[in-house]
Amino acid sequence: MKIIIAGAGAVGTHLAKLLSDEKQDIILMDENEEKLSKLDSNFDLMTVNASPTSISGLKNAGVAGADLFIGVMPEESRNMTACMLATNMGAKKTVARIDNYEYLLPKHKEFFAQLGVHSLIYPEMLAAKDIVDAVKMSWIRQWWEFCGGALVLIGTKMRETAEILNVPLHELGGRNIPFHIVAIKRGNETIIPRGDDVIKLHDIVYFTTTRKYIPYIRKISGKETYPDVRNVMIMGGSRIAVRTTQYVPDYMQVKIIENDINRCNRLTELVDDKIMIINGDGRDMDLLIEEGIRNTEAFVALTDNSETNILACLAAKRMGVTKTVAEVENIDYISMAESLDIGTVINKKKIAASHIYQMMLDADVSNVKCLTFSNADVAEFIVKDGSRITKCAVKDAGLPKGATIGGLIRNGEGILVTGNTIIHPNDHVVVFCLGMMIKRIEKFFN
Amino acid sequence: MINTKMIARIMSSLFFIETGFLFLCSLLAIYYNEPDIPAFLISTAITAGAGGIVSLFAKNAEKKLNRRDGYVVVSFAWIFFSLFGMLPFYLSGYVPSITDAFFETMSGFTTTGASILDNIESLPHGLLFWRSMTQWIGGLGIIFFTIAVLPIFGMGGVQLFAAEATGPTHDKVHPRIGITAKWIWSIYLGLTLAEVVLLLLGGMNVFDSVCHSLTTAATGGYSTKQNSIAAFHSPYLEYVITLFMFLGGINFTLLYLLFLKGNFKRLFQDTEFHWYLGTMGFFTAFIAVTLFLNGSSGLEESFRKAIFQVVSIQTTTGFSSSDYMTWPPVLWVLVCIIMYFGACAGSTTGGMKCIRIAIMSRVMKNEFKHIIHPNAVLPVRINRQVISPTTKSAILAFTFLYIAIVFISWLILMTLGVGFEEAYSVAISSLGNVGPGIGECGPSHSWSGLPDAAKWLSALLMLIGRLELFTVLILFTPDFWKKH
Repeated sequence: MKIIIAGAGAVGTHLAKLLSDEKQDIILMDENEEKLSKLDSNFDLMTVNASPTSISGLKNAGVAGADLFIGVMPEESRNMTACMLATNMGAKKTVARIDNYEYLLPKHKEFFAQLGVHSLIYPEMLAAKDIVDAVKMSWIRQWWEFCGGALVLIGTKMRETAEILNVPLHELGGRNIPFHIVAIKRGNETIIPRGDDVIKLHDIVYFTTTRKYIPYIRKISGKETYPDVRNVMIMGGSRIAVRTTQYVPDYMQVKIIENDINRCNRLTELVDDKIMIINGDGRDMDLLIEEGIRNTEAFVALTDNSETNILACLAAKRMGVTKTVAEVENIDYISMAESLDIGTVINKKKIAASHIYQMMLDADVSNVKCLTFSNADVAEFIVKDGSRITKCAVKDAGLPKGATIGGLIRNGEGILVTGNTIIHPNDHVVVFCLGMMIKRIEKFFN
Repeated sequence: MINTKMIARIMSSLFFIETGFLFLCSLLAIYYNEPDIPAFLISTAITAGAGGIVSLFAKNAEKKLNRRDGYVVVSFAWIFFSLFGMLPFYLSGYVPSITDAFFETMSGFTTTGASILDNIESLPHGLLFWRSMTQWIGGLGIIFFTIAVLPIFGMGGVQLFAAEATGPTHDKVHPRIGITAKWIWSIYLGLTLAEVVLLLLGGMNVFDSVCHSLTTAATGGYSTKQNSIAAFHSPYLEYVITLFMFLGGINFTLLYLLFLKGNFKRLFQDTEFHWYLGTMGFFTAFIAVTLFLNGSSGLEESFRKAIFQVVSIQTTTGFSSSDYMTWPPVLWVLVCIIMYFGACAGSTTGGMKCIRIAIMSRVMKNEFKHIIHPNAVLPVRINRQVISPTTKSAILAFTFLYIAIVFISWLILMTLGVGFEEAYSVAISSLGNVGPGIGECGPSHSWSGLPDAAKWLSALLMLIGRLELFTVLILFTPDFWKKH
């Protein structure tokens, strides 16, 4: 697959590396030669030093034969222009990164498709949705719904109070348990568990289950003492913060702490009246105490500086905040932040990259999410008629090691999968696998 | 630190590739039924054995290759290829000294073309073919060949490519390095085959035309005749070989665009190509006029001799159609100057490359302008792209190092007892991968008279020059081997 990525910024380079490891033909465009030169001699991709909005530049990059054109430059308008040019010059599909909520409205979708921009991606909004999910379920580290919530994925950290520690998984209740453990994150390692694996203290365990058994999972994980979140404190009035306030449910009280007075004034124009904006430094403990950090259940750090976010979350944790969320843009810091006990780590690049990655999958995958904590991918497939997986029971299908089926949705109803389950055509199947194995697994469902 | 296991893994596959080539020559030797059969079979076995032993060390290799590993792999690959490649010469007894055998093989792989053989015609076909084959493999690069045929390197291929490819900029014709390598090698193979056909039409026999085509496309310069191309006395063959040497000196990315995409504009708008044509035209005209005025030959013959020799030296091939030592001495100086130039980056040639000369001459021009307009901002543009200061300083460092190496080697060679002009020409000819020198090392002589130490130094210079100085020399810096 020939993919042209316009813009060698953080998202562009992350995506380029990811896809070139996947043996795709990657052409990375940017005007800045310095940004490209390092990538060119270290990764298996081609760089074109030209402006992605120049017609001759696009021609040079071979846009006529491109299967996918991805515009991830910092400016929204340039991404849109580049995508329009690319479509008219022969690119099959285009994706533009945008910064405007209006464009995403469903009624505009067709208009943009006519212009030649087939998909839009708004990383700040995706991040905001993740943050709100994390805050709503404070005892959960990761939360993901499949098929409108028929099946849910829950990631939570095991504390001393958990009931399922040190028991081999096959002894947990056999076939009748209402959940399936799809992945275990231990230290820096991600395990796709088998029957004789055990859960240890401080593991992050990923369950799939149906909605009505969530309280049961909460009970066996020993998280019943966690308070529900009513008060949220956001440090840093970034664009993600603005989007977050939009998705927060009504029963939550939100305070945004922002250091820059001009930004504060601007924020007042951007957010609802019930959001309180406080001008001050989020690292100032006295200010936090004065603003009631001791009665706050969730602390979200969204400044531009990853280090500040991590440290601020740790400080908040000391003050008794149960749920912390930190935006960490430095990918190498993610696993470190996670081991420091920060509840949820948000990374715009990873969110955007996994979103785009999903678009290039050939199969009917409607939902791929990169689990930011671990190396694992979650993918949802619609099983086609006559595919390999339908021919025998799951345990005999020969799925590669490091992949597991978390559950399936048949006629809108979530069903958990055991070794003896037989998968029917048109089932939605939720698959978990290590690394970027999705391409290999796709074969089983087509 | 160095990932020894991964390096061993790559080395073992490289050895197996060389085994394949040696085996091919064994078959040829068996076909002609000449006395070099055992030598080839033993060499094949030794190389295969070495590949097997090295692969034992490669168990559980971590499939990662960093920048340093790349430099180690590339330099050692060339050295080991020469070590195993010399075995047929040595074991068959045709080249009885290890020094000479190694020199001959290194000269082959680096496409230098300097020889220590005093009676080439006496060699059996198998050895002659192996001699030509070494140049053909080395022409575009040993590693580059491996990238094209084996998908083993994965991510590491890019690091290796960066360490082996010549020229200050690296163009790719396809996003994936493996496919880029395949296309470039197809062009190379195509050039070779086309030349075989044209040489056959000119009345050369099959064996000679294959051998000469292999060494022309690689701009190597090994001939199956002691008198090189002059032995054939055919203007047609000289023109054909001139044409293919010229093509071998063009950037292969541009040849790809020309032959497979029909893109003429890109080639004729290329700044480096302008310099290549311009310098070549000037040198040819100068020599042709001098020869004609000198009265030793007619107009056509003067032109033919001039263009053949200029193309041969500038593309660092080293074929000769006439002995330039019999020309007026002013032309010897000119030959030495051409040796510095070289042809285009990304081709099979050696030397400093036209692109560097082009950039440096513009830097120089800007310096003059700068004195008159002290506040002017003066960019250096190549193909309408502004050259970054990093590239400029890398090229200046390269040039300084190149000239420094020539002078230091000149000094060492003279200390070893080599004559004044011979020492100078051996240094520059080895470093530029040209082949012939001047004086006693000229086109009509072999280099067998050099002392052993001088041959080793010359072989080292060939390797340094082929891998564009830094790749080899970086291994001699203490910092490279430090753990932090």
